[in-house]
Amino acid sequence: MILTRHPLRELAAYIDERLPENRARRTERHVAGCTRCGNDCEAIRLGMAELENLPLVEAPDAIWTAIERQLQEKPAPKQQWRWTLAAALVAAAIIGVAYWGAARRLGVRWEVTRLAGSPVVGTTVIGATGRIGAGEWIVTDAGSRAAVKIGEIGSVDVEPDTRVRVLVTQPTEHRLALARGEIRAKISAPPRLFFVDTTAGTAVDLGCEYSLQVDADGVGRLEVTKGWVLFQWKGLESLVPAGASCRTRPSAGPGIPYFNDAAENIKQALERYAFEKGGVEDLNIVLASARVRDTLTLWHLLSRVPVEERGRVYDRMAALTPVPEGVSREKALQLDAETLKRWREELAWTW
Amino acid sequence: MVPLSDREISADIIQDCRSGDRDAFRALYDIYKDRVYSMALYFSRGDAAAASDITQQVFLKLMTGIGQFRGDAEFSTWLYRLVANACMDAARRQKAAPKYSQDMEMVAGEGSQEEDYARRQIASSVRAAVSALPPKFRVAVLLRYFDDLSYEQMAKALQCSMGTVASRLSRGHRMLGERLKGLARRP
Repeated sequence: MILTRHPLRELAAYIDERLPENRARRTERHVAGCTRCGNDCEAIRLGMAELENLPLVEAPDAIWTAIERQLQEKPAPKQQWRWTLAAALVAAAIIGVAYWGAARRLGVRWEVTRLAGSPVVGTTVIGATGRIGAGEWIVTDAGSRAAVKIGEIGSVDVEPDTRVRVLVTQPTEHRLALARGEIRAKISAPPRLFFVDTTAGTAVDLGCEYSLQVDADGVGRLEVTKGWVLFQWKGLESLVPAGASCRTRPSAGPGIPYFNDAAENIKQALERYAFEKGGVEDLNIVLASARVRDTLTLWHLLSRVPVEERGRVYDRMAALTPVPEGVSREKALQLDAETLKRWREELAWTW
Repeated sequence: MVPLSDREISADIIQDCRSGDRDAFRALYDIYKDRVYSMALYFSRGDAAAASDITQQVFLKLMTGIGQFRGDAEFSTWLYRLVANACMDAARRQKAAPKYSQDMEMVAGEGSQEEDYARRQIASSVRAAVSALPPKFRVAVLLRYFDDLSYEQMAKALQCSMGTVASRLSRGHRMLGERLKGLARRP
């Protein structure tokens, strides 16, 4: 018997070979003689095949950290789980209120571990471990290193010849100030809980691992190894993903981010362009040498070059990678915030 | 479909989770985290923050509710029901225009620059096409793609009949195919 109705509802199951044998045979006969269903089958097969272009994406580590934190506030599942859960929630609420109140009044003191030499917290050389609170400095000399536990969200290694001050130790804000030297941060937390101030701006953690160096003149370099860091200074923002770096200068803020594997002439041209009043020649070098991945750099340049140069930056980006739906040249050149965000989000798939 | 070899979950792991063993729960999380996150990410149109929220929510519900899991249903069915529900809840809360977001890295291609460009264009088009699907079709299509479930298991996860699953998959994939026809004609 041949089906008299078009079996669209069953075509995916037919293609997946999940239909019972008799229904599969009837569907097969119908499709063989029906142009419309034949076309539908072709479209369904195509849709299934094109999904192969979607890769499996690794879940960020921060998710597990957040789950663990919440699980610590909940009891293990038992038969009396409702009562236990309720009791734990009440206890957690009481502890939370107490912790919040204490943290607000006093701040929390973080644990410091000596990694090498004789790190100093305040005026005291610490032993194997010590504590540091808001307002205190940790100072290392050429032979010293230390690790600071940043509340419950991660840790910071303080490298030799570094002066760093703890500013805020609250659960909703963990803030350091790096005067000079180098720190290496490893944070596993929701975005915007960890900040590092420098004379050239503030590094805002978006869930990541990074190193931040500042020399005696306040000239710095941020290098991100995992996740993203936002570097902000007076309304100027540089968004730096894993594998990329960004130079910083006092009174100039963050420069243009670049991938570490970018061509050397790009890095040098960016340095001149951002900090040494470089001009069209440097921009030409960047545009000519940019790869697809360097759209990170070009995306930032778009809003930092003079208006008459924006079109060239846009055209180079468009030549390197497809311009997504919803991004028009006109809006991009106007630096429309939504358009730039939309474009960045699409470009980020290639960064 | 993504090849997956570790789909089978032993009864011991489930039992250990039920008795509150955090290591067992971590093992369970490790097995499923990338599939759950990927489904959530593509469902959320590339919004990494939304996908992280969904993933976190799913595993917290899993942990707090695993005491009630009697083993009379397959574990993956229950898990994907939580995923589908969390995705649909998120869709109801956020009726925003299609958008994609950060934290996504494409594996660098080994071909020429033109091939890389074409590959990115294809991937971008597929993501856009998936994002344009109505949420019920989107979740069904992603569920079929990210795990090798039977139609019966998908029906349980989506809390609908097998016929409805088949219908959503047919219509969802046909919409994808029609939208991506241009890609199929590429050289």
